[in-house]
Amino acid sequence: MKYVGIGIPNVDVLEKVLGQARYGADLPSESPLHLKVVRSTKPHAKIVEILTEEALCISGVERIFTAKDIPGRNLVGTITKDQPVLASDRVRYVGEAVALIAAENPEASEEAAKKVIVIYEDLPHVTSPEEALSIDAPLIHEKGNLLLEFHLRKGDVQTGFKEAEVIIEETYTTTWVDHAYLEPDAGLGYIDEEGRVTVICPTQNVHYDQKEIASLLSLPLEKVRIIQSTTGGGFGGRLDLTVQGFLALATFHLKRPVKLIYTPEEVFQVISKRHPLKIRYKSGAKKDGTLTAVEVDILGDTGAYASYGPTVCIRSAIHATGPYKVPNVKVRSRMVYTNNPWSGAMRGFGVPQIAFAHESQMDILARVLEIDPIEIRLRNALQVGYETATGQPLMASVGIGETLKKIRIFTEEARGGRKDESREPKIKRGIGVSSMWYGIGYTGIANPSTAQIEIHPEGEIRLFTGVADIGQGSNTIALQIASETLGLPPDEIQLIHADTGFTTDAGPTAASRQTYISGNAILRASKDLERKMIKEASRLFGIGENDLFLEEGKIKSRRAPRISIPIKEIAKRCGTVIRGEGTFDPETTPLDPETGKGVPYATYAFATHVAEVEVDMETGKVKVNRVIACHDVGKAINPKNVIGQIIGGVAMGTGFALMEEFIPGKTTSFVNYLIPTSKDVPEVIPIIVEDKEPTGPFGAKGVGECALIATAPAIINGIADAIGKRIYRLPASLERVLEAIQKRKMKSP
Amino acid sequence: MKKILHFILNGEPVEMEIEPHLTLLQVLRDRLEMTGTKEGCGMGECGACTVLLDGKSVNSCIYPALEVEGRNVTTIEGLMNSRGNLHPIQKAFIEHGAIQCGFCTPGMILSAKALLDENPHPTEEEIRNGIAGNICRCTGYLQIIQAIKAVSQKT
Repeated sequence: MKYVGIGIPNVDVLEKVLGQARYGADLPSESPLHLKVVRSTKPHAKIVEILTEEALCISGVERIFTAKDIPGRNLVGTITKDQPVLASDRVRYVGEAVALIAAENPEASEEAAKKVIVIYEDLPHVTSPEEALSIDAPLIHEKGNLLLEFHLRKGDVQTGFKEAEVIIEETYTTTWVDHAYLEPDAGLGYIDEEGRVTVICPTQNVHYDQKEIASLLSLPLEKVRIIQSTTGGGFGGRLDLTVQGFLALATFHLKRPVKLIYTPEEVFQVISKRHPLKIRYKSGAKKDGTLTAVEVDILGDTGAYASYGPTVCIRSAIHATGPYKVPNVKVRSRMVYTNNPWSGAMRGFGVPQIAFAHESQMDILARVLEIDPIEIRLRNALQVGYETATGQPLMASVGIGETLKKIRIFTEEARGGRKDESREPKIKRGIGVSSMWYGIGYTGIANPSTAQIEIHPEGEIRLFTGVADIGQGSNTIALQIASETLGLPPDEIQLIHADTGFTTDAGPTAASRQTYISGNAILRASKDLERKMIKEASRLFGIGENDLFLEEGKIKSRRAPRISIPIKEIAKRCGTVIRGEGTFDPETTPLDPETGKGVPYATYAFATHVAEVEVDMETGKVKVNRVIACHDVGKAINPKNVIGQIIGGVAMGTGFALMEEFIPGKTTSFVNYLIPTSKDVPEVIPIIVEDKEPTGPFGAKGVGECALIATAPAIINGIADAIGKRIYRLPASLERVLEAIQKRKMKSP
Repeated sequence: MKKILHFILNGEPVEMEIEPHLTLLQVLRDRLEMTGTKEGCGMGECGACTVLLDGKSVNSCIYPALEVEGRNVTTIEGLMNSRGNLHPIQKAFIEHGAIQCGFCTPGMILSAKALLDENPHPTEEEIRNGIAGNICRCTGYLQIIQAIKAVSQKT
């Protein structure tokens, strides 16, 4: 292959390296109005009245909007529409939007926001899922505080635990994590040349945004246009609406350009978070390490609004076994509303949390049974032909065993390196292993993608995709796939992406799905164009279609090697645009509401990480020296980007393991929300396994979220190896590690 | 009361009238419409706003504009040479896959330049320290470190 499998630089790097890329706050506009959102100071309250008179008197203030100004449905949400763009009668978390100021300059809009008086009547508020589920808990939403309860059953766990020779039962807790993308949410609204309400801003899904805005403004879809600006990271935080609703509402009413830039503090306060999960996990195994049963209870806090709560609830349950053969499985997963900050999509949709639990359990079993941590995982690893806990038989591309085998040599090497630890007695070294699996795409529901590629008589080739590239490189991968099919270099294909004015729905940049699903749509569109070009060539030159094939951008004949006509030449002779179209929707089935049975994902990615850590026994400080990260991605369309995802994922996983903790009411910015810096990140050895997925484009699956999932449990297992005590609550901060060390001293190990 | 500010921006003299409370970042982005320099955290924590002041890296989001009077400011827009060639650090960032979302990139490149101008052959630890004030959420830094190392080895 000439273009697929090659680590070409991303197509947008030049403008980024020159500082020319336009992010949300960089967009030029002629004298826009400046918007500012007035936000709730109460966790739960009735809105009695919103007084705007004083604010309206400030010079430069053009208009103040409240929920009353929303002409359509004032409820948004990707799964459950329960979140108002502007609160109407009630606020459910601190930071909820209540009013929107439009003014001639940012100073006036800020000043006015301070002068808007909201009269509240306090309601009792709920700060934990346990409290939310109590009988006398105040209702956060009318239908009750339980957003969703999901069950998964396979075999009979009672029998499974009877067969077990060892049973381990523990509770694992994770907390809120911020996406901490660097670019504050910002954007521009205007009426475009075709009269459409247009919003340009960072986003992970322009077509979802378009539907929500059309519904909010009660406009037909074609009257709304969303364009993705260069996006400074996403990680799930830009799957829900951020600035779109405000920009669209103001543009709709004022019919002039409007600009909104969130303050960095506002981003921390109001963008979704990773769901805190509390996981009770019971594992049963034979003496040889073979799992006989797992029983898992998951309780999640979705905060004030549903967002991706249902997804996290179901996905964490489905992935609860880890990438292992477990004959008897029982999982209950509940997602609950509280008045805490709302949680949504964040890189992994609950799988990083559940992996922390199942991999800690696996590590405990290995220790108790005195089996090597790689060996115990290999004995249980999923294989082709095995039925997962949802009853899905795995048909192909199950590379978990391969990742374990490939990584084994590194654990042996790392153990060798531990021997010199006695040189500095206060430093203890440890090695941790962790594996993961991740279902590509949305869970048990249709999540199609579409793409088109056209060739114009002038020779121009245009590829259309609705995919939002958020820095991971999907634009480059789209071009590589089209290039491979047509045999033309990427720079001969013009890419039009993530603009609802020109592109069709590709679904979200989420669930590690774009390479597999949109990649397939692009592949199919390119193949469709290939067929049409052959047909045209056959017509033009009077040669049978079966004799013709496409190679290096030319239609060639098998029987007459002299014939070699560039497709651009064929397009010129045809005189019309020739267009290839492709759609792809992975084959899944809905999950049974009682048992969770079904086919949630068409394919799964797998990985194993090994972390080498050292713990300072006096301070509790953990240093991760090296992470070996072995990923089965099916096929790396762009190995450089795959490695980029892996190394970036390891960094984010290191933060998840050791330092990241959003504390509601206390965390305000990067000053008190610490993420890994260049001094904190470990050396990473990325290893790519390509167990090809037959349904994937050139065999590809996905890697975006997978990159992060195995890191934190590998580090936590490494800490346990070093200090002989285990951390059950993330992050493993200095205090928690020190506490574990001190417990160890009290009770000799 | 507005004040007159003179400074050299990417080699060109600039004279402008500004409100004395403005930061260097506000002057660059809002007044001169040079948006290559980014505002991330607005409080000097993330490094996205890094520019060079007389060759040293500063966080322009907290740097008072009047303090640059008479001094040399270099932003990402001024890094290409007069013949339109990329700076070796820009090239290395592309070659080593050191850019994902790219929001930290301008600041990161300028921090790297400040580091290499002062210490052309830094150790890995010196590189890690040199860019420790620049947060990147996407890449995990290693490709950035490799890119800087590669530039240092070529000189």
